[in-house]
Amino acid sequence: MSTEALRNLYAILGVPAEATQDDIREAYRIAARRFHPDANSNEGAEHQFRDIASAYEVLGNSQRRYAYDEERRTAGSEPAYFSLRVTPSKRVLGTLDEPQVLYLLLEIAPLRELTKQQKREVPLNLTLVLDRSKSMKGIRLDKLKIAAHQIIESLSAEDRLALVSFSDRAEVLIPAAPVIDTIALRAQVNLMRADGGTEIFHGLQAGIDECRKHLSDRFVNHVVLLTDGRTFGDEERALELANQAAAEGVGISAMGIGEEWNDEFLDALASCTGGTSTYVTSPTAVVRFLNERVRSLGDTLVERLKLCVAPDADIVLESLFKLQPNPQPMDTSPQPVPLGLLEFNRTLMCLVQLQMPPGKRTGFRTVARIDVTGNVLIAERRDYKVLSDISVEIASNPPPEDPPLPILDALGKLTLYRIQEKAQQSLQKGNAAEATRRLENLATRLLASGQDELAQMAIIEARRVASTSLLSEEGRKTLKFGTRRLLSQPDPQDPGS
Amino acid sequence: MRTCPYCAEQNREGVLFCEECGQPFIGVQAIMATSQLVNEDQVSLRGRVKWGTARFDRRAAVVVHVRDAREPLTLIPKDEIVLGRSDIHSPVVPDVDMAPYGAAEQGVSRRHAVIRRGEDTLTLIDLGSTNGTHLNGQRLIPHQPRVLRDGDEIRMGKLVFHIFFKE
Repeated sequence: MSTEALRNLYAILGVPAEATQDDIREAYRIAARRFHPDANSNEGAEHQFRDIASAYEVLGNSQRRYAYDEERRTAGSEPAYFSLRVTPSKRVLGTLDEPQVLYLLLEIAPLRELTKQQKREVPLNLTLVLDRSKSMKGIRLDKLKIAAHQIIESLSAEDRLALVSFSDRAEVLIPAAPVIDTIALRAQVNLMRADGGTEIFHGLQAGIDECRKHLSDRFVNHVVLLTDGRTFGDEERALELANQAAAEGVGISAMGIGEEWNDEFLDALASCTGGTSTYVTSPTAVVRFLNERVRSLGDTLVERLKLCVAPDADIVLESLFKLQPNPQPMDTSPQPVPLGLLEFNRTLMCLVQLQMPPGKRTGFRTVARIDVTGNVLIAERRDYKVLSDISVEIASNPPPEDPPLPILDALGKLTLYRIQEKAQQSLQKGNAAEATRRLENLATRLLASGQDELAQMAIIEARRVASTSLLSEEGRKTLKFGTRRLLSQPDPQDPGS
Repeated sequence: MRTCPYCAEQNREGVLFCEECGQPFIGVQAIMATSQLVNEDQVSLRGRVKWGTARFDRRAAVVVHVRDAREPLTLIPKDEIVLGRSDIHSPVVPDVDMAPYGAAEQGVSRRHAVIRRGEDTLTLIDLGSTNGTHLNGQRLIPHQPRVLRDGDEIRMGKLVFHIFFKE
């Protein structure tokens, strides 16, 4: 089947398959008016417009449309692999002469039938890039070796594995190859000695090069980076490298251990490839986190999942946050936004925050067009797309309506993460009083949601800021990643606290 | 704009938690408090969160499951379904008679509440009952409609039941 026949052009234009040429022309005209870059300056609009225009190129021409219909008929219908469900925080909005906020909850769910099927292991093309700088000496490096050993044991000849260790230079300890002689591979891991400084760029470059050797749609191609240090001066080059890797199909997950590492940098590194970033406080947790990461890679159904959110011209996309798995703020630019992987048995959820314009017009209106594409590994299907066009009703006197619980639940936790972020912004502006107040607010809310330990940390840091105008590195990271991790806990009552 | 009652911050309309201090706005807290019971069951479904849709197909049926009752009741769709209890001294019989579930002892009024079918939603309206109607833990203001979602918990007096939409 040609790639064109695989796309559902009717869905893209939003017309039924039996639409007349006039219907199609009208649908195109409306869609073009919504998303033409001259009319809509939102980042995702151009992407949608290109999609719509290319669909119209075929369907708008009756001969090409006939050929397309024929090809789809002979090919038969394609099974669905995943679905996109969008729930707005309100279905009916009131007319207002000021802007208002609307949240959308996106659920990208693997289809039930697929999850019931016997799970087929997806082979991994995995590269571990491990920090062996001097500060890793002792228990950190020991635990890292244990984790690497366990990962080697969990892989098979179907998988490809490479291991790069780095300090101020990089060494390829295990060149990318099928995992056959596990004893020899384990021996290679043991060669790691702690020495030297931390320069992530070289390690990452060597790692991505190894991963490239077996780069294929058949595999989940992924680099896992673990570091305990701060890299100096090579951040930008490393980010450039990561962007390039993302374009080729290599995902990157980053893990920071201890207090020194540069969280903003690792966040940026992971989010531009759709990977994840995690903060590990204790060396023992490294083993669990690394294993968990590799296990979830093996559960991949869809790789290179990408999301495009195109609001209507008068609506502003304010933020995008991935709620689960691996909660993380996402950059809304450039679009489409890489979301990484979709696992067999886990729904991926995002929360979108939009600002609606003031206005008096009532009735139904379109809000945004959202699409998700990805490569389905089990079917070797590239760029499978699902699409959703969201509308709400505007009324002068809307009936009271409870926002859906999952939105409330997620937003409640997300707000905590944002307050922590705001406290840091106040500090950067040099406003210690504001930062203190925000940290105190955070502590209050954390206590109310049963997070006593984090609340305690917020109180200590609030006092510290009040007297010294500084946050401790540990406190800052614990609060940042602690509030972020709340999102992956479905129940606010943490059993440990 | 909405002013946060805790920190006086001005928030835009539609914001559910104060963006400055994180306090949930009125109404939000009550919904969350009652949600926890429901959520616990859902966590077991491999962390997949599920909740009801508010979209109600006109052809769909409504199922009422009274807590601790063995069999749920499936209601014939009509534009208004009155919930209450029958009484030997009164000729009026509600569409859904809760008398067999001990409604009188639990404080259900004869005409307690009504489920009204709209274009593609269902709304619940308390008919000025003596002991009130609660939707997901929140007490309804009499005669003011509230949108129902699939799986919602309704409490009339002390009688608790759940509403499901059946396609």
